[in-house]
Amino acid sequence: MLEIRSARKVFHRGQPDEKVALDGLSLSLATGEFAVVIGSNGAGKSSMLNAISGALVLDSGSVVINGDDVTALPVHKRAVRLARVFQDPMKGTAASMTVAENMLLAELRATKRTFRQGLNAKRLADYRERLALLGLGLENRLNTRVDLLSGGQRQSLSLIMAVGGKPDLLLLDEHTAALDPRTADIVMQATVRAVDALRLTTLMVTHNMQHAVDFGHSVVMLDAGKVRLEISGEEKASITVADLIGHFAVKTDRMLLAS
Amino acid sequence: MDFIQTTVESFVSLIPVTLAQSLILSFVVLGIMIPFRTLNFPDLTSEGAFPLGGCVCGVLLAAGASPVTAILIALVAGFAAGCCTAIIHLRFRIHTLLAGILMMTMLYSVNLRIMGKSNLSVFGAPTVFDWAPFTRPGFPASKIVVAGLLALVVFLVLNFYFKTEKGTAIRAVGANPDMAEAQGINVWAATIGGVGMASAFSATSGALMVQSQGFADVNMGLGILINGLAALMIGEAIVGKQTVLRQLAAPFVGAVVYYQLVSVCLAAGMPPPDLKLATGLFVLVMLAAPSLGRSRGPLPERETIRE
Repeated sequence: MLEIRSARKVFHRGQPDEKVALDGLSLSLATGEFAVVIGSNGAGKSSMLNAISGALVLDSGSVVINGDDVTALPVHKRAVRLARVFQDPMKGTAASMTVAENMLLAELRATKRTFRQGLNAKRLADYRERLALLGLGLENRLNTRVDLLSGGQRQSLSLIMAVGGKPDLLLLDEHTAALDPRTADIVMQATVRAVDALRLTTLMVTHNMQHAVDFGHSVVMLDAGKVRLEISGEEKASITVADLIGHFAVKTDRMLLAS
Repeated sequence: MDFIQTTVESFVSLIPVTLAQSLILSFVVLGIMIPFRTLNFPDLTSEGAFPLGGCVCGVLLAAGASPVTAILIALVAGFAAGCCTAIIHLRFRIHTLLAGILMMTMLYSVNLRIMGKSNLSVFGAPTVFDWAPFTRPGFPASKIVVAGLLALVVFLVLNFYFKTEKGTAIRAVGANPDMAEAQGINVWAATIGGVGMASAFSATSGALMVQSQGFADVNMGLGILINGLAALMIGEAIVGKQTVLRQLAAPFVGAVVYYQLVSVCLAAGMPPPDLKLATGLFVLVMLAAPSLGRSRGPLPERETIRE
């Protein structure tokens, strides 16, 4: 379960370029719920994800994961509870390390690291099995350095790393945006399979309206640092791309009138 | 012919002394490699940590401490110096190189304060080299045995450590700090501990050097960094750096080969004052070599350094 309570963040406070990134944003996500977040550039999507992961310190408000207030915790402590896939494939993996070592780092995300040897036969067999699910042949490249993989392979690896260990919360930050359509499809299908199978509480940011329509239990639309619209249940099941774009259009018209 | 003969003769006669020296200095090269390669944190602290270890060890030996105690305390002092550099970088967001220069400059005064004068003779004090089995104390053989065993142990321990769960996490911090943090690794702790460990090795090297040469000097660290870097480049050129094992072997192999090369130059009659210029040019060539082949190509990739 995730709960964001009136989160507020202002960049460059008191300066001419002052920008309200999060303006009392509140959002709650039930355990096992898969929500898709949409919104135009600058609406506060990235700021919200960063506030949840701990990379952004809030001016006020709080973030609660599974009933525990994590607002004061740094990124590496929150990592025990949440996993994140970044938009940039380079960001989510350690390029100069091997596929197996990256998998190891992810496996140890929520546990205490010991002085025992990291990679052993049991772990390698487990990684091989989990990577085989992708069908990209990564299971045969465990000792390949990650910087030799393609963007799509790296992003798929990031996804497998993130869903391993069943995190309390999965954050997907436009994780298919940098990929070609076919690879994006493979990664998206793998995402949905994993989220369904493990019943992960998931927050996915996307600019792809079709994804917002096809996937998830609810759609959240952000605007100017606030939740503008939340569609769930029956309404979500029957919504179309045109409807969603309509909501964007309303916003644009209102902006025109206001100016 | 005469020139070649005398050069070879004096080089060969110097081999044992040079080997002993290079094994002792291999710990500085290790102390340069760890931040530079595994933490992606180019660190200059060793230029100050090496004499720091030497001065601490010298003062303790003069006060009658046992040689092992002197080395251990020098090691702790070096660790503290390295931690300071890392904290200066992390807390105040000062570039790693500048943080290192600050520490190195401040350490010069600290070292002078520790010794109270610019050099200190500890000739005749007991050293760890006295305990070498099967060798007579004071001869290069005893130094080679002790320093060589120490180097072997450190190499094996580090090779084990960097493959453990904790060691893999440290390497991840150097490879991608953002990713490491997202995987629950405390980047601050890993950086401070890692740079501290590296400076501890540099200080240990200084302490061993003082016990080997019988005196401590505040200027003993002058140019040690560029020598160490040259040794590291040679080592990496010989054994490579693709795996943990190779990367860890590079400082030791590099140190041994590099100091023999220096010995060849000296034996051939090169004036010692020219040595730094030669070393600097050598490092420059080693660093520049990969970019010479593609001078007309696309813009070269900038070396990324942690900000």
